[in-house]
Amino acid sequence: MVLLEARHIAKSFGHVAALRDVSLEVAAGEIVGLLGENGAGKSTLIKILTGLERHDAGDILLDGRSVAFSSPRQAQDAGIAAVYQEINLIPERSVADNLFINRAPRVAGLFINRRQMISDARALLSRYGLDVDPARTLRTLGLGTQQLVSIIRTVSLGARVVILDEPTSALSAHEVELLFGIVRTLREERVGVIYVSHRLSECYALCDRMTVLRDGVVALTEATARLPRARLIAAMLGRELVERSRSAQVVANDGAAAGSSDNVLHVEHLNWRRQVVDVGLDVRKGEVVGLAGLLGSGRTETMKAIYGAVTPDSGTVTIMQHRRHRATPARSLQDGLAFLSEDRRSEGIFSHLTVAENLSASMLRRIARWGIISRQRRDALVSEYVSRLGVKTGGSDAPISSLSGGNQQKVLIGRALSTDPSVVMLDDPTRGIDVGAKAEIHRTIADLASHGMGVLVTSSELEELVDTTDRLVVLDEGRVVDTLATAGHHADDVLAVIAGMQTAPSSAPAAEAGAP
Amino acid sequence: MKSFSSTLFAWPGGRQMRRISIGTTPPGGKPSRVPNLRDLSVYLALVLLIIFDLVLTPGFRNPFVVRSLLFEAAPVVLIALGQSLAIGTRGIDLSVGSIMALSSAIIGISLGFGQNVGIAGAIFGGLACGLLNGIFIAIFRIAPLISSLALLVAARGLAQALLSGARVDLPMDGPLSALGQITIMGVPVVAIVALAVAAAFAFLVRRTLPGQYAIFVGASREASVLAGHPVRATLIFVYGLSGLLAGIAGVFASARLGAADANYIGVQFELDAVAAAVIGGTPLSGGRIAVAGTVAGVLLLTILDATFIMNNVNANFAQILKAAFIVGALYMQRGRA
Repeated sequence: MVLLEARHIAKSFGHVAALRDVSLEVAAGEIVGLLGENGAGKSTLIKILTGLERHDAGDILLDGRSVAFSSPRQAQDAGIAAVYQEINLIPERSVADNLFINRAPRVAGLFINRRQMISDARALLSRYGLDVDPARTLRTLGLGTQQLVSIIRTVSLGARVVILDEPTSALSAHEVELLFGIVRTLREERVGVIYVSHRLSECYALCDRMTVLRDGVVALTEATARLPRARLIAAMLGRELVERSRSAQVVANDGAAAGSSDNVLHVEHLNWRRQVVDVGLDVRKGEVVGLAGLLGSGRTETMKAIYGAVTPDSGTVTIMQHRRHRATPARSLQDGLAFLSEDRRSEGIFSHLTVAENLSASMLRRIARWGIISRQRRDALVSEYVSRLGVKTGGSDAPISSLSGGNQQKVLIGRALSTDPSVVMLDDPTRGIDVGAKAEIHRTIADLASHGMGVLVTSSELEELVDTTDRLVVLDEGRVVDTLATAGHHADDVLAVIAGMQTAPSSAPAAEAGAP
Repeated sequence: MKSFSSTLFAWPGGRQMRRISIGTTPPGGKPSRVPNLRDLSVYLALVLLIIFDLVLTPGFRNPFVVRSLLFEAAPVVLIALGQSLAIGTRGIDLSVGSIMALSSAIIGISLGFGQNVGIAGAIFGGLACGLLNGIFIAIFRIAPLISSLALLVAARGLAQALLSGARVDLPMDGPLSALGQITIMGVPVVAIVALAVAAAFAFLVRRTLPGQYAIFVGASREASVLAGHPVRATLIFVYGLSGLLAGIAGVFASARLGAADANYIGVQFELDAVAAAVIGGTPLSGGRIAVAGTVAGVLLLTILDATFIMNNVNANFAQILKAAFIVGALYMQRGRA
């Protein structure tokens, strides 16, 4: 019995089509995985289903009847509830209070019956397999457990369709198991679940069916049992999977290179939360190394942990044979390691400031004497980088916000290069920029390498990554799963490797063990 | 209204004024650098108010009135400059008025050691408070609003305790008396000092590392961290400097009053400082510091106070009018804040 059905949904923001034609259905007692890379349209679809956005075209049917929600409240009343990553509870109150906000059992309709509430809460928690004392203050629980409480609260409001948006990103391995327990209980209770996650192993362990979005359309809908990982990944990346033998492409992971004097960057046993797991990699002088992997595989987190933008839990980073302790971005730059964030808008540009101010932001100390910045030296360096990188600007005093995305990115690359690094990490440098600027950035990367710089780069487009790198380090769920040379290979080869690896015996048992 | 005003003020002379501030575009960033009403409003309002007073307010032309105004404005200019720096980092420093009181109290209790010792102690006390504030904000990541509010309460309390709530008259001769009275060609020395500090401030924010770091931190703390800026040290510097300036302002205000008084000096001055900085064109969203605009903002508020007094407006009613004026001025700045 189909519970909730979205038919041919389309939604545009201005000229940008977020969803072009998306259909999705959830039956009672079914868990549907919703997957897709960034910008595929997942969050827009969820917002439409929960009444946060209105769709331009298409129908939403609940129990076969057409519905239209103009507010999240209406969607909730109709039985569609969503759990987001943020926790919307009151930390200072007890677990029971939080579970029964606004609907506590009362005596004479006036006074909260605490004993009744506590025992109701205990029953509710144990029904979903969560062993927590309902009288405890929420704040004293771990964040993951708080999130589980939040999920139980949402599903206990009588929801018939529950949407879980990246529910496991803050959870420990044990808490993920508890979450799976909750979701399976929901399935037994005939609730329909839409499960959004980047973690493929979770989807395989939990979902009955998977729907993959790409560029605002459904790229694939298939029952989990009939869906090999390779096909799923191919659909997410928008590629046809070509079967090739794997052994031919993989280069033996060169342990010999680890101590090589050619290494400009050497990383060992790097860990950060659960998102960077025992990562080791090398970048040699004049080499372009790509960090490949699906969204959520830990590419950005790995770079940030190396750079010191987040503090790694353990591991060592060696730059130019110089082993570092307690890295910070400032020290990384001093040691010759520069980093370009993928989030240009909030971590890259200073939007109110000029091109010159943005470009010179990391070299101020070098062009200052006694703390006074030399205008002359700044202008000289700025115009050097503007012409070297081909930044199209109305003058170095123009505000950075007047530039196109591609030119803003060139300014930020100029900022990274202005520190004269021996190795530079570029996190998805061509994201959201036009084709011409893309090609120029590719040329710049090749040029840097030919001058002996080491480059570590990511991209959301696998083909681009293969074409522009010498070697790929493949990440999956925070781990390095393999290293392979890209020279002379096609993206399909690499895709086969990535996909093949993810069904390799080493990673499969964990997923199978969790499967029902 | 908007298009009307921007055409009205798109005159060439505006360019000069436009360059007073760093980070020259309002958010939403049009590439054009044509000045608009928002950028000039503070100067326009100042000019209009002065014309109003010259024509309608009895006695406003009297040089003694002007001199008195400048004596009043000097300490406020100092704390408003410190404030504009704090606001430029997307913070706020509410403690400046109370630090002035503490500075005054330190002078009051240290008269026995000589006036110079008292002045030095007062300025040092202000610096110490500011550094403490900066450490809370930068290292312990307490919101500037909360940290400086705590200091507002604590510094005033400490000042009152030091003087046991009493007013201590200052000697009629020596450096303190001089600061409170001496003028050069009719201009108070304290006003000249304040103007010199403003000029140094303009240089600080435009041309020096700490000043530029402050603007970067205010524009985007995340980007600033990744660009390798010493964000914490910058914040400690900013609030330390604000405290130092408040310490000097406390000396000036005490000298003018001729007494150390923890119950009178600097009361609610933090509000004037914030209002002057924001009216002057420093947006609460950070990333831009308008030094000359802040000075103009202080003059505007000081003259406004004088206008009410000289026209015999009831003091309570005057406060309401002033509040309405500030709200109106901030409304015109809303695109930034």
